Amino acid sequence: MRLSEVQKDALQELGNIGAAHAATTLSQMLNSTVEMSVPKVVAIDIARLSDHIGEDPSAMVAFELQGEIPHGGYVVFYVSRDSAIRITNTMLGMTEMDRALNEMDESALREVGNIMVSAYLDATAELLGFVMLPSPPSLVVDMAHAAMQSLIAQMAEDVDEVLLFRTDLICAEHKIDSDIILMPESSSLKKIVLLLEQMMKPAA
Amino acid sequence: MNNTPPQTDQAVMIGIGEYRIGTFRMASIGLGSCIGLTLFDPEKKIGAMVHIMLPESSGRTDRPGKYADTAIPLLINELTVNGSKKKSLVAKIAGGATMFEAFSASMNIGQRNIEKVKDLLAEHNIRIAADDTGGKMGRSVYFVPYENGRVTVRLANGSSRDI
Repeated sequence: MRLSEVQKDALQELGNIGAAHAATTLSQMLNSTVEMSVPKVVAIDIARLSDHIGEDPSAMVAFELQGEIPHGGYVVFYVSRDSAIRITNTMLGMTEMDRALNEMDESALREVGNIMVSAYLDATAELLGFVMLPSPPSLVVDMAHAAMQSLIAQMAEDVDEVLLFRTDLICAEHKIDSDIILMPESSSLKKIVLLLEQMMKPAA
Repeated sequence: MNNTPPQTDQAVMIGIGEYRIGTFRMASIGLGSCIGLTLFDPEKKIGAMVHIMLPESSGRTDRPGKYADTAIPLLINELTVNGSKKKSLVAKIAGGATMFEAFSASMNIGQRNIEKVKDLLAEHNIRIAADDTGGKMGRSVYFVPYENGRVTVRLANGSSRDI
């Protein structure tokens, strides 16, 4: 669907509110300051996905959006492999960087992703009055592009373009750089845009 | 399709649903459930590469490289129009991983992509010289037609192998 500038701004604001809540939970878990970038809403042609998401080894905690719309799209908590290790090191009081991700790291990452994504979706649900629930988390440690591509291929609709809501969450103290990416199906995007437009209408 | 050959020896990136034909280096990075398919003509040292995302086009014709059922006839046609003999063409395939088992139980796109590509190559009597498909891991694929059609697969951990 084509989005107007006003719709884009509204979606950006929605992403802003969701990401701010996610940033707060990350900050609590790391017991440290977390800075947040201005959320971006970008429409990407799938042929150019690699300009936005690379092949570097990353940890991606992915959730399917469920609720009123059963297959509403995906939301992904995305960190580089090094940031992933720094997150669990910080949480578990470890320092060793030169190591493989073990089971304990994996379950910690799933949990961090779960808490952040739940905070993100709670905040947007409260604003919109429209509930998007996260599925149980699924963790992949691999090339980021391969993981995102796999999610796009299994979207309900055969799409040539995806809309990504993207926010960087950065913890400078622990050199952690993370990203939350929401990728709605057109069914949920239409619903979200409609609800945002209703909210922006001046009261009669 | 963009027909301009590259000005440098850097690999030309073949994005999702794209394809190229030529003698220059080509690459598709980060294949998950997608398939990187190369067809190579050892006589003319020319090849084609496509980055397939789904098995069936269901009648869509605007992005033929995106679907196995439109991509394979297209590549064969482009190469034969260019002077290659169909019976000399050799295929190599990589990709078709299942990265998110929890989400894809009912879909299994990776597996369906592999099966469709293999079925179609068999239908066209094209020999599969190498097959690096399935599993759970992402792959980047590099194709060098001028080095006798060499195909290299690289994994996230940095290891790579010629197939």
